[in-house]
Amino acid sequence: MSHNFRHWPIIVILSIVSLPLIIMFAFQIIDTFTTHPIDSMIPDRITFEQFSFLWDEAETGRANIWKVTLNTFIFATTTAVVVCSVSMTTAYALSRLNFPFRRFFLGGLIILHAFPTVTLIIAIFLILQIIGLYDTLLGVIMVKAALELPFGIWIMKGFYDNVPWEIEMAGVQDGASRFTVWWKLVLPQVQPGIFALMIFSFLSGWSEFLLPQVLAPGNDAQVLSTYLTALIADDTKIDFALFKAVGMFYAIPVIAIYLIFQNKLMNIYGGGTKG
Amino acid sequence: MKNFNWLALGFLAPALIVITVFFLAPVILTGIFSFTSMSTSTGVTGGEYLLNQSGLRALADKGLNQVTLDQLNNAGYVVDEQGLAALAEKHGTATADEMRKLHDNGQFSARRDMERALKDLKANKIRSTKDRKAAAELFKHSLLNERFEAEANFRVALVEGDIPIEDHEIIVTQAYTGWVWTVDNVKLLFSLPSTLRYAGNTLIYVTLTLIFNIGFGLFLAITTFYLPAKSASTFRAIWFLPRILPPVMYVLLWKWLTWDTGFIATTLSWVGVAPKNWMLDTSTHAWVVVVLINGSFGASLGMILFSSAIKAIPSSILYSSEVDGANRWQQVRYIILPHLRWPILFVTSYQTLSLLTSFEHILLSTEGGPGRATEVWSLAAYHIALDNYGGNLQYGLGATFAVALVIIGIIASLFYLRFFNFNEMVAKPKIEG
Repeated sequence: MSHNFRHWPIIVILSIVSLPLIIMFAFQIIDTFTTHPIDSMIPDRITFEQFSFLWDEAETGRANIWKVTLNTFIFATTTAVVVCSVSMTTAYALSRLNFPFRRFFLGGLIILHAFPTVTLIIAIFLILQIIGLYDTLLGVIMVKAALELPFGIWIMKGFYDNVPWEIEMAGVQDGASRFTVWWKLVLPQVQPGIFALMIFSFLSGWSEFLLPQVLAPGNDAQVLSTYLTALIADDTKIDFALFKAVGMFYAIPVIAIYLIFQNKLMNIYGGGTKG
Repeated sequence: MKNFNWLALGFLAPALIVITVFFLAPVILTGIFSFTSMSTSTGVTGGEYLLNQSGLRALADKGLNQVTLDQLNNAGYVVDEQGLAALAEKHGTATADEMRKLHDNGQFSARRDMERALKDLKANKIRSTKDRKAAAELFKHSLLNERFEAEANFRVALVEGDIPIEDHEIIVTQAYTGWVWTVDNVKLLFSLPSTLRYAGNTLIYVTLTLIFNIGFGLFLAITTFYLPAKSASTFRAIWFLPRILPPVMYVLLWKWLTWDTGFIATTLSWVGVAPKNWMLDTSTHAWVVVVLINGSFGASLGMILFSSAIKAIPSSILYSSEVDGANRWQQVRYIILPHLRWPILFVTSYQTLSLLTSFEHILLSTEGGPGRATEVWSLAAYHIALDNYGGNLQYGLGATFAVALVIIGIIASLFYLRFFNFNEMVAKPKIEG
């Protein structure tokens, strides 16, 4: 397209409007590995000191960074696994099985999709306190997985809808049960979908801030997002080099996954809202 | 249905359980909580009966007569088992035993008398006046500051204290520390001046961010469409990063940019501008930063959806327009924009509804400040119920604020049902289970 047009004016304009973001990203990387004089932005020395939080003893009152990282990993992985496995069966039932009130369930799914976290979180906070899961990792995982579920079911249903009916009909014709058909014939067809949802929920769990902040404020169940927030909120010492180094450590898995699966992710972020 | 579909039930069961506990129950409970006075001080599960000084003052304000107030307030002293046990702990069993022998069940109305009674101790004298005073306190018997688990016990105590029966009701209500049913939250919502302010802030926030989101999303989608694939995907990747980065990390970058020792302040100090906090200096600064943070985050959604919609335009139309000599602006104005009408409508509605209820980025960046300049409705609900400086979390009032957002959720779902072409979605399965 558009070979009649010159490209450079567009590139110049786009570069100018993207400049704030580019500066932020560039200095995020530069500042983590260098030091600079107080009133200047130009680095004068390469260093890894900023990462000393990884091997130094944790300050009193702060959780150990490796324990926090482990918590974050458990949180993100468990959420992803729960969301995937529950969505896998529920979406299949909604997409392919016939049962009473099917219309009602589908409508309900869309309604759930529209409920914002803030309307639920006050009540969930109280529910967790009553059932004794407040301030535990298990409690936050359950809540996160539940809130992520409507989206997961929605995405998986889209993938199931695209599987040709002929595959299942052939299976049923040959005498397989509906369960066998699902397990042996349909699931392999939607494997890319499961994989994409797995990555998406993992990232979503890794980035989650609000739920751990409200539902598990203690040190034992701390995750990296709340760890970093607590570090920033402690205004006795504002040290952006440290914040950025912790942030870098926190964001590396996200960026790695993004670089590898960029196209898949853009699809699911766009498709998730479009249906 | 010939036979019940057990497979479907089994497949749906996990989701149904989870959704009942974490969606249905919270929504219903939010509605219920909004009609209670629940807060940190009342607790969640129930209360006890406790009258303290501030409770007394409240009773005086409610017009309880002075005689009854004095009765409640004035401590009597009784030498009972409870007091003796406390005495034994402090001064030894021998002292307590002697005291029991001398003054078992003795009643004194003033502390002086109680102290005099303590002076009667011969074998186990309490020598210092200070200790005696403290010991006298052990026998203090008053309704004030005494906890009662059940209402019945509290009423018995009132009767024992000779409180006039007609005053019992008002005292019991005042002394209850648990939550009660009330419509005060709703009244408060309509009478507080800050409510109007939060609504106004939300309006500003949603309108400005939305304009930025849609406008910039369109701009990115159209400009990258005209670029060669490689540079197009570079710019898209840059603008997609805000969405993929963890919000805490993303907002940290903005903080670094705008902090008083941050990038803008440092760069401007080279040309002689005094460094200041570019995020929190004035409310205008705060609004610009809040809109930029949320706008740059939200623009990627528009960018992705509009990009794929532009790709779906048949290329023959674009080619023929070029043959006809259309310039780039005409191509955008007369071909691309008309094709984007539905995606724009969708993104606008979707973003409006999600912006109305989103507050994570504001919480992380300005926290609603300076003052309450950027405190939007959903952030206010969060602050009232879950995180405020006073420390008394008002679950009930917060829930009332959230109910307004539940209504928005319902409107949103009606909109989605329209948009997602419901009938096609519920098409009948082709194999009967």
